[in-house]
Amino acid sequence: MNSIEIKDVSFQYQSNTPVLQDINLTIKKGEWVTILGHNGSGKSTLSKLIIGLLKAKTGQILVNGIELNPETVQDIRQKVGIVFQNPDNQFVGVTVRDDIAFGLENLQVPREDMVERIEKYAKKVNMSDFLNKEPHALSGGQKQRVAIAGILAMNTDIIIFDEATSMLDPKGRNMVLDTMKQLRSEGKTIITITHTMKEALLSDRIVVLKQGRILKVGNSKDILKDKETLEKSNLEMLLPLRILYDLEQTNYSNERIKNLLWELSLSV
Amino acid sequence: MKNIVIGRYIPGNTFLYKMDPRTKIIALIILMVSVFIIRSFTFMLGSLGIIIIVLLIGKISVKRVYLGLRPLMFLLIFTFVFQILFNTQGELLIERTLYYTLYTIPITILIITFWIFTKRYIRFKLLYFLLVLTSIVYVLTTLDLGYTIGQGELSIYSQGVEMAFFIMIRLIIIVTLSTILTLTTKPTDLNLGLESVLKPLKIFRVNTEEIAMILAISLRYIPTLLDEANKIMLAQASRGVDFSEGKLKDKVMQIVSLLVPMFIISFKRSDDLANAMEARSFVPGRPRTRLQVLKWTRLDTITLGITFIALITSISLRIFL
Repeated sequence: MNSIEIKDVSFQYQSNTPVLQDINLTIKKGEWVTILGHNGSGKSTLSKLIIGLLKAKTGQILVNGIELNPETVQDIRQKVGIVFQNPDNQFVGVTVRDDIAFGLENLQVPREDMVERIEKYAKKVNMSDFLNKEPHALSGGQKQRVAIAGILAMNTDIIIFDEATSMLDPKGRNMVLDTMKQLRSEGKTIITITHTMKEALLSDRIVVLKQGRILKVGNSKDILKDKETLEKSNLEMLLPLRILYDLEQTNYSNERIKNLLWELSLSV
Repeated sequence: MKNIVIGRYIPGNTFLYKMDPRTKIIALIILMVSVFIIRSFTFMLGSLGIIIIVLLIGKISVKRVYLGLRPLMFLLIFTFVFQILFNTQGELLIERTLYYTLYTIPITILIITFWIFTKRYIRFKLLYFLLVLTSIVYVLTTLDLGYTIGQGELSIYSQGVEMAFFIMIRLIIIVTLSTILTLTTKPTDLNLGLESVLKPLKIFRVNTEEIAMILAISLRYIPTLLDEANKIMLAQASRGVDFSEGKLKDKVMQIVSLLVPMFIISFKRSDDLANAMEARSFVPGRPRTRLQVLKWTRLDTITLGITFIALITSISLRIFL
């Protein structure tokens, strides 16, 4: 089953050059897809289009088989959650508890149900001990996990991480990445939007965007070794993978070294 | 700038904390109205006494209340001095002639300049100010040496003194009451309370839920924006802007250098926040359920009863006395 289908989507802000052009992309249920691109490649715009915060100029977006339009946008927002870049700017509640509750209050979930779900999902992201804490008492990684809990509590199938780790320190980033891995194992569809290779490495598929167009779509392993594509889109290769690429160019055949380099890149 | 204490919630466990925020808000309004109705000095003093007792039972430190009063010090002193000097009702208590002579005018100017340059080193600014004021009055009334340029009159009337204290006590009571409210109520509760107190306004098509949402978000973002302001001030300081010194013109430029980035950042933040809220299915005006619920207890009924009695008493005192 397809989670998200994007057909011939183009988008532009008024009287400007197009931000996105002829985007065609299908994301299967339970898949982890990374949208990779340098600044200004239109990757954040794509996420806002999927959730209906922006309206595509042409084309069609289907989420769980439902076409996105003004009538269905509220239903679709219950299916798709999005974690934004800045942890501070998406924390609506005065405390962690209030913030997780925010989405539930909007969906008019009864109070008893709400309390139960808050406990459950706070536990899932390891934030149970912080329920009464205020945002300024939390680290960036903790705030992002609260945001994830808030989305999970709404029972979304698809979660978009819009550069969700780019403002975090390494520790916070690892906390969020661990949560992402856990979500994947539970069968959620995950879309990460990033320009760092480490996140891309964890995903199943990579979509490389350049100046609003899809440059290449492929398996993570193939794309991350693809020096040409990455160079074209101003992205930096992980060092072990660069060595791997260079070795392959010289018809080097020691599989053990190749595997070792691949493993190394995962642990960078 | 980070340790702004005025109106910040401080955890506690006395009866003031157990009250429903709705009760506290309504009681605050009723008591403020009562205080404005009272005309007699003795009853005003009595009200102050009652409030001090409430503070003591409620275990609220007087220091916190004083910190709440501090920003209003200027207003307090101004009305006090104004009333004493210009109210001409009641008995005449003191009448003195002020001599403006070639000696007294330079001495006065000297004292004032001395005060302006030394006040920043003095801890008790208020006492120091009063000392300076009395010494000026003393100089003007006693020294009649030299060529007299003009004469003025300093006359203090009993009613003036009484009104001065009366108004000061009234202001203190009002500020203390609102400080009690904000010190003992969590922002979330305060917000919920406000929302349900404002509910009757729905008849006039006022969207009370939206007002409550706006208030909640502003409360949520005050610490974040203060942090931001701090960061910008540090950044500007590292570029050579000094926020504590300078002439008025420089000060304006310093404030501009703080405000412009603050505005831009706030707009960016609110844009992000709006996106995040919409993404989580927020639709303005659509009904929402609530996680927090308010509980009305007997304490609330009793408190409201007492405040109503206070209101009725003050009205009847006004009519019959």
